[in-house]
Amino acid sequence: MSATRAINGRSTLRLAALSGANLLGAIAFTWPFVLPSLVDRGDAHRADAPWIALLLAGLLGTVLFVQIERGGMGPKAIALLGTLAAAMVALRLPGFVGGFSAMFIVVLLAGNSFGPAFGFSLGALGTAASAFFVGGLGPWVPFQMVAIGWVGLGAGLMPRGTSWRARIAALSVYGVLSGFMFGALMNLWFWPFSAGSSGVGWAPELGFAENASRYGSFYLLRSFGWDALRAAGNAILVIALGRAVLPALDRAASRLTVKVEKVEPPAALAAGGPVGGNL
Amino acid sequence: MHPAAWLVWAVAAGGIAMLTTNPFYLLPLASMAAFVHAACRVPGPGARSFRIFALFGVFALITRTALVAVTPYAIGFDSVVLAAAEGLRLAVLLIVFGTFNSVSDPFKLLKLAPRRWHEPALVVALALSIAPRTIDAVEKVRGAQKMRGIEVLRWRSLPALAVPVLSTGMENALTLAASMDARGHGSGPRTRYRPDVWDRKSIAATLVCVVAVALFTAALVRGEAGLLVSIPAEWPPVDPLLLLACVALALPGLLSPTRT
Amino acid sequence: MTDAIVFSEVSFAYGPDAPEVLRRTSLSIPEGAFVLVTGATGAGKSTFLRCINGLVPHFSGGVWSGEVAVAGSSTIEHAPRGLAAQVAYVSQDPDASFVLDRVEDELAYAMENLAVPPHAMRRRVEETLDLLALAPLRDRSVRSLSGGERQRVAIASALTAGARILVLDEPTSQLDPQGAEDVLAALKRLVDDLAFTVIVAEHRLERVTAFADLAVGAFSSGRFEIGDVAGIVEQLGGGPPVTRLGRRLGWTPLPLTVREARARVGRVNGVTGSREVEIARHFGSPVVAMTGVSARYARDEVLHDVTLTIDERVTALIGRNGAGKTTLLRCLAGLHDPASGRIAMASSGASPRTGTDVAFSPQDPGDILYAETVAAEVAATLDARGASTEELDKWLDAAGLESKRDIHPRDLSAGERSLLAIVAIAATAARILALDEPTRGLDPESKDRLCELLDTMAREGHAIVVATHDVELVAEMADHVVMLAAGEVVAQGPPRAILSGSPVFSPQMARISDGRWLTLDEATTALGSS
Repeated sequence: MSATRAINGRSTLRLAALSGANLLGAIAFTWPFVLPSLVDRGDAHRADAPWIALLLAGLLGTVLFVQIERGGMGPKAIALLGTLAAAMVALRLPGFVGGFSAMFIVVLLAGNSFGPAFGFSLGALGTAASAFFVGGLGPWVPFQMVAIGWVGLGAGLMPRGTSWRARIAALSVYGVLSGFMFGALMNLWFWPFSAGSSGVGWAPELGFAENASRYGSFYLLRSFGWDALRAAGNAILVIALGRAVLPALDRAASRLTVKVEKVEPPAALAAGGPVGGNL
Repeated sequence: MHPAAWLVWAVAAGGIAMLTTNPFYLLPLASMAAFVHAACRVPGPGARSFRIFALFGVFALITRTALVAVTPYAIGFDSVVLAAAEGLRLAVLLIVFGTFNSVSDPFKLLKLAPRRWHEPALVVALALSIAPRTIDAVEKVRGAQKMRGIEVLRWRSLPALAVPVLSTGMENALTLAASMDARGHGSGPRTRYRPDVWDRKSIAATLVCVVAVALFTAALVRGEAGLLVSIPAEWPPVDPLLLLACVALALPGLLSPTRT
Repeated sequence: MTDAIVFSEVSFAYGPDAPEVLRRTSLSIPEGAFVLVTGATGAGKSTFLRCINGLVPHFSGGVWSGEVAVAGSSTIEHAPRGLAAQVAYVSQDPDASFVLDRVEDELAYAMENLAVPPHAMRRRVEETLDLLALAPLRDRSVRSLSGGERQRVAIASALTAGARILVLDEPTSQLDPQGAEDVLAALKRLVDDLAFTVIVAEHRLERVTAFADLAVGAFSSGRFEIGDVAGIVEQLGGGPPVTRLGRRLGWTPLPLTVREARARVGRVNGVTGSREVEIARHFGSPVVAMTGVSARYARDEVLHDVTLTIDERVTALIGRNGAGKTTLLRCLAGLHDPASGRIAMASSGASPRTGTDVAFSPQDPGDILYAETVAAEVAATLDARGASTEELDKWLDAAGLESKRDIHPRDLSAGERSLLAIVAIAATAARILALDEPTRGLDPESKDRLCELLDTMAREGHAIVVATHDVELVAEMADHVVMLAAGEVVAQGPPRAILSGSPVFSPQMARISDGRWLTLDEATTALGSS
């Protein structure tokens, strides 16, 4: 249910664009490992970044546009997306404490409440909008859009549990995990290029196991501290605000699903189940 | 002025702020934006929220600088200066955005969007109009909770602010979307009641904005020094032409002040 | 007459687990009728109205079955935007529905969307401005208008669309009695002269029964029925004061309007012979004094040289829309700084401290409710002042919410929510309690409960100040009435002196008795013992 609550099953174009953007996002993060011969050492994606970023931005733009314009989302989801994206912008303004920004709490809670597709759109849109103010615009923005979109997508896949305690516990654990995962993912956008010469850099000839351990060392050295702050901040905010804010979000999310049942003629009332579909 | 001319103004001022961290460009830019706000504001939540945007900008400038100053990763004085310059840019962007909110109505812009773009334009218009409405809501909720002896800015009572502001914000956005839909928004081709006209003032202001951005872009392409504060920290040089471009953005305030 | 709207077997719930608001409802609304939708707070009146243009289920979400056909089109197949040319809808909350800033632009908005030719637009805007007396406000920003003016703009902007079915949710809730009368008369004219179909939900039945041709009753358990107004009101119970009086005295048929009740009273004992009855009102010692208070918003002076003493009793503030009632309350509560003059507590001479000496309950309960349960909401206030939680039950009981203590505040009906908000504010135990339009959306039963609560508090030594347009409430509850006009106090005194002589502000009981009685109890005593 949660997986389909914000998705409109009718729009195949939308599904295609959504999967396309995710696929391209995955490729963008991982291609240096698949095609090591093309890696241009020394500077992060100096050669390819503009192209990949442009392509990715174009596709993400299409996803958001299609989500929104093709009536797939409908004005009510649009209204909520706009509101929550604005909340992300506002919470990103004060800045980061290490790798932590209060912006993530919106993605985590709203993603959990509204489901993965909405979570992905919100993460991507909120990141893009806030980049105008704070991050500055650059080739890293589409990568961030995908990564934060995934944070929201994952939050939407978290089990809702049977009790509030379970749901918030699961989400705060996810907050910790996604805090680290986000950092690990964003490192990939420069790691294969920049740290090559050192002992913690990527060396295609060394094989997967050695590279994984090198990345592990690199991660502990360069990224762990920042990410730990993010993970802790996420968990603390989920625990502090989850019980109060999630019901408000759920309430709004419930308005996105319309189920139309067929009217049975009064005589045949008992027979036949609901014939459903989302509007 | 034509609503699209305001959009051009905001994009130009914001664009210039994004291209530079030089305080000698940013500070005049901020003053010009404040002047335009003072001269052209339309009374309403947008105009009221300008002050909050400005305060938020200053707040962001301070926290961002302070955060860098206390982070163990910071590398001395230079990185603090860099953070302050970035923070200043952010503050100027917020002031420009606050001015845009106070002088123009995002829903007028929405009406200019071509039919196919109605819904994406709706997201943008909603997102733009939410900030001032939320600021209004925060003030209202704070006042109401104070009545109950709940000081919402304390950490423990954070939900007493966050929940009503968020719920009311979402509720209002949904009500607005419903109201637009019920009144036929996006149902087909549309006509215009008193179309906004591109008068000479709007054209003049737009041209000046375009030239100003072009000057900055040219400077960027030329690789002119002084656009960005660099390390080691020192006062950046000033190009008088670029300074003039910043000051020229005050033009709308001179051309079409709000009639009182 | 053909049917404008047909409900066939409509069932609707806001969610899979939520109770059904409509249950297999089938009814038709004929074209050219003025229809009143009535029922208890939370019975689903707004939901019913929102079904008519498809806002339910398209914008509400939920589980739907059945069909609503409007002029032959199904609301499921046509989203609200597709029905905009047939149905115009005015929501309960005009503030959140405005799209554009200028009054004139707002009026034209729907026509632009429906591609009405420019010259026709100009004409319709002018006609509508005249119809609702908005011409002087045409260039103003909607956000600078008073509550009542905004409500008229919302109605006007729905009217311009050219739809021949008008659906209005509590269209007079923020209007003063005269303004309400004008709006309803304008709607009636559309029905009578131009065969529009008008469907109105309204709690203050005393305002509408004289206009309505038919009524839709919202009974509990999701049953909706259409019938003549008298029949529906009789089945539902409640009704305007004249009807309640008739029910108390066993009159048949039940009177619905002042005119019918007057005829009946004349038959009972002849109006001229009826005796005067007055139930005692409270007096108390002064709590706070305002001396020469003036206040401004932007450049406009909203209050001018107000000198007023507020005592330990219920004081009602009445007056036209925009007379300065809300501003006076906000000044009293320390939410608005007066431009001149002073406000001083009688006991200390200091100005009242917000939250401890004075508490203010805003019009919109959404501004304060945030807790997960009803009980937690009240407990938050008690907690903040360090009071024991033993008081909790007392407050919940006073609001009639003890059975709903574990429910989420947003699951309450609009009326229950405002009661909860009022109690959450009242639990501060501040000496002065200021309430802004507390009876919006309250049915007579909830209103009685509120009166009882405020009455008890007044007797315990609180000063209660209520700004309201609800003259029936003022008659029942107030010990003292202050009338404001254009920011000045123009009259004050006991309710009888202020209300009974006024053509606009007199309650129904005063109208049927030429001012001899004011409240239902007084009338019952007078008529019952004769």
